[in-house]
Amino acid sequence: MIGRLVLVVLVVLGAPLLGALLNGADRILTARMQGRIGPPLLQPFYDLLKLFRKEPLVLNRIQIGYVYLHLAFMLMTIVLITLGQDMLLALFTHAFSTLSLVIGGMSVRSPYSRIGSQRKIMQMLAYEPVLILLVVGIYLRTGSFMAGAVAHLDAPLITSLPLVFLAFLVALEIKLEKSPFDVATSHHAHQELVKGITIEYAGPYLGIIELTHFYETFFLLALVTAFFVTHVWLGVLVAMAVYGAAILVDNVCARMRTTWMVRYMWTVPVALAVCNIIWLYLQPHVGR
Amino acid sequence: MLTPANYVLALIGVPLVGGVLACAVPWRGVRTVVVCLTATLTALVGVLAVIAGPFSITCGAWSDPTALALELLLIGVIVAFAWEARAWLIVLLALVQLGLCLTEQFSAGAHLLATPTFILDTLSSILVIIVCVIGALIVVYATGYMREHAAHAPRTTAGDRRFFLVLVGFLGVMNGLVLANNLRWLAVFWESTTLCSFLLIGHEGTAEARANALRALLINAFGGVALSLAALLAAHRGGITSLDGIMSAQALVPMALLCIAAMTKSAQFPFQSWLLGAMVAPTPVSALLHSATMVKAGSYLILRLAPAFAGTRLLDVVALAGGFTFAIAAALAVSQSNAKRVLAYSTISNLGLIVACAGIATPLAYAAAIMILCYHAASKGLLFLCVGAIEQKIGSRDIEDMGSLLYTMPLTTVITLTGMLTMLMPPFGMLMSKLMAIEAAIEAPFVLLLVIAGSALTVFFWAKWIGRMQTVSYHPHYPRETMPFSMSSVLVVLCALVAGGGVASILVYRTLIEPMALHTFATASAHTIAALHAAGNLLSWPVFVFPLLAALAWLWTIARFNPAHVRLPYLAGENYEEKELSYAFLSIKDQPAVAWTTSLYFKHTLNELRITPWANLIAWLLVLSLLGVLGM
Repeated sequence: MIGRLVLVVLVVLGAPLLGALLNGADRILTARMQGRIGPPLLQPFYDLLKLFRKEPLVLNRIQIGYVYLHLAFMLMTIVLITLGQDMLLALFTHAFSTLSLVIGGMSVRSPYSRIGSQRKIMQMLAYEPVLILLVVGIYLRTGSFMAGAVAHLDAPLITSLPLVFLAFLVALEIKLEKSPFDVATSHHAHQELVKGITIEYAGPYLGIIELTHFYETFFLLALVTAFFVTHVWLGVLVAMAVYGAAILVDNVCARMRTTWMVRYMWTVPVALAVCNIIWLYLQPHVGR
Repeated sequence: MLTPANYVLALIGVPLVGGVLACAVPWRGVRTVVVCLTATLTALVGVLAVIAGPFSITCGAWSDPTALALELLLIGVIVAFAWEARAWLIVLLALVQLGLCLTEQFSAGAHLLATPTFILDTLSSILVIIVCVIGALIVVYATGYMREHAAHAPRTTAGDRRFFLVLVGFLGVMNGLVLANNLRWLAVFWESTTLCSFLLIGHEGTAEARANALRALLINAFGGVALSLAALLAAHRGGITSLDGIMSAQALVPMALLCIAAMTKSAQFPFQSWLLGAMVAPTPVSALLHSATMVKAGSYLILRLAPAFAGTRLLDVVALAGGFTFAIAAALAVSQSNAKRVLAYSTISNLGLIVACAGIATPLAYAAAIMILCYHAASKGLLFLCVGAIEQKIGSRDIEDMGSLLYTMPLTTVITLTGMLTMLMPPFGMLMSKLMAIEAAIEAPFVLLLVIAGSALTVFFWAKWIGRMQTVSYHPHYPRETMPFSMSSVLVVLCALVAGGGVASILVYRTLIEPMALHTFATASAHTIAALHAAGNLLSWPVFVFPLLAALAWLWTIARFNPAHVRLPYLAGENYEEKELSYAFLSIKDQPAVAWTTSLYFKHTLNELRITPWANLIAWLLVLSLLGVLGM
């Protein structure tokens, strides 16, 4: 009990630090790819501290609540996974974390914010089936919805879920707001809509969104690692490689339309994931 | 204390008598009192009966002839209405049904087994509570709503007296429907609900209302024929006269026909069109009949029968049909901007999920289906009532017109938003039951894919609506909203019920639903029982402290909010700043203009007119494949 509590505290405190470092590395790597030097590695920390010292400017009082919910549901997801609890519940709390941001972005009378929010729901529509199929695949492999069951596998998940893993990598690109899927909000100033969904947030509230993003980066890469769970260090290396590849794709792709994104996701990656799920159903010891 | 027979009589009789009284009273004020008293009494009787239950009663020899006489009478009334409207197809269907009833009565060889006429077990208790408590609240709301409604209803509208006769009386026949075990009594109440629905849809008497009422009558008459045929074949092939008889004999043919009857009543594809048309009725009708109670009768029937047929191929088809309805109705809901149509499609969709879970027929799927049934009835009833109040105020039911409502009608809007959030936010009951539905659907891979697609689409249309409804400018103070007390009080009570019950969903599951599923599936495999336990085994519930903390932090921030921190939106630096807090920007010739972005509806991709025929085709094929058992 005490051990678990310590673990939760460690993850809750450590995850944003790692997430921030990853984002710092992202910014350096992106800058190098674009022929710039880029900010120092610790720049995300400096940004965050600065944001929390600024005035809390808002358009109305409603949008504030959804920023808090955004962070709260993300924390909840992290804690659920850390404790090895129900993955489907974690998936839904994770989805509601994103949804809070969407609803918050829609609650203000701002055209840019509204367009960004609409696109964010389109993103959710695009990647959510892949994530559910991921959980279903893990269930068919372990026979339990508990995240903790993954730790007791004798062979890593990647051996039985290779296609789901590929589909998840595409979903990851959306979740990290990278091109060609960075339609709701972007890190690049050349896009037609730069800061869509977050444009009406400033100061500490924007800081909370950044903080949640750090948690999310950590969470997603932890999921990548989970595919290699009997060989954790290999998993960490793959996660780093995947992150690097995501940044590379971000810099070589143009932004695509939202409808294209949904069509693409519901055909190629979802079909891949479904194919993988069928493999699992075909194995005699899986399922019923 | 009352005897079981008296409870059954009271559950059916109190609303019927109350309805007749309300109809007899010519003064509006007195009628309101009569309706409210009847509603209170019905709720009281419902709760007491459920506490006294479970019980079953067997009626004497008078019961069968009485039921037959009532059924013939109802068919006669339907024929009369259809004749008057020159709807020959309905007349034909009713006459076929008449023939089936008489054949069953006068054909020799049906030896009757003594089975209870009415049964109040846990499943019917849940339905009785929904009908009596949520139904009573909606009826009270209707008293306030109809007073307002009368002011701007078309001149063809039938009187309030007939309206309340049917609406209040409906509670009684609905109670009868969920209690009936005898097939003939089931048919009597089944036809009565069809008739109630017909009369209430046609309440306004406009051409559209009459046409839609007739369509509802046509489709439900088709269901009635299926029901009567099921009763006839059950009697012929083994002398079965009751639902539990069908279950214990595992009679596949009546089961398939009852499933088709259930699909018509629950407006599953391809029978969905009548429910969409039913939205012309006054909103309390939509809330009571067409979301919270009557349409649940179909899924209730499948839920009641399915456990006995677990593992049959027939149920696989039923599950597929339900899953298909869930996904396709959710997709069509995305394309709708009319609030009542969104609610209608969402209702069809959720009923489909209940049918799908009933068809999967594992303990976990059964539990998930019952959870959805309860939470959907409460949340959707509330949402319909809210939309009714909004429509009366703003004169529109278009979602795009619902911006800034938070300022003009804060109470209703907050309650509507709560209702919508309970449909998709953890830890409320709808989300938890959807989670269980996905976990249960692992047993049926095809259904699983449909459920996944449908869930993603569901989130989409709710999020759009929530986002539009709470869009609001900054206002330092919010006005008090004026609404008739009967309406506001019902909204507040129902909202508290929905939110409180929703938060306690895991508790409800473990104390009520899980034992019920275990009892129903006494012989289920250890593997499925383990899945049932695992779903409710939420050791980590303390993590829900995070959203609670977020809510408290929000209240704290609002309490010490500094108005000086309010800013205008980013409008590419072209804000129009003559007036304070203007949301306009400088457009052509420096004229102020307001940027307006509608929500995404994909009316071209998800074109209702284009998709519906194809969806109906697939659904008809599924219905036809259900009929495959007739050859056996």
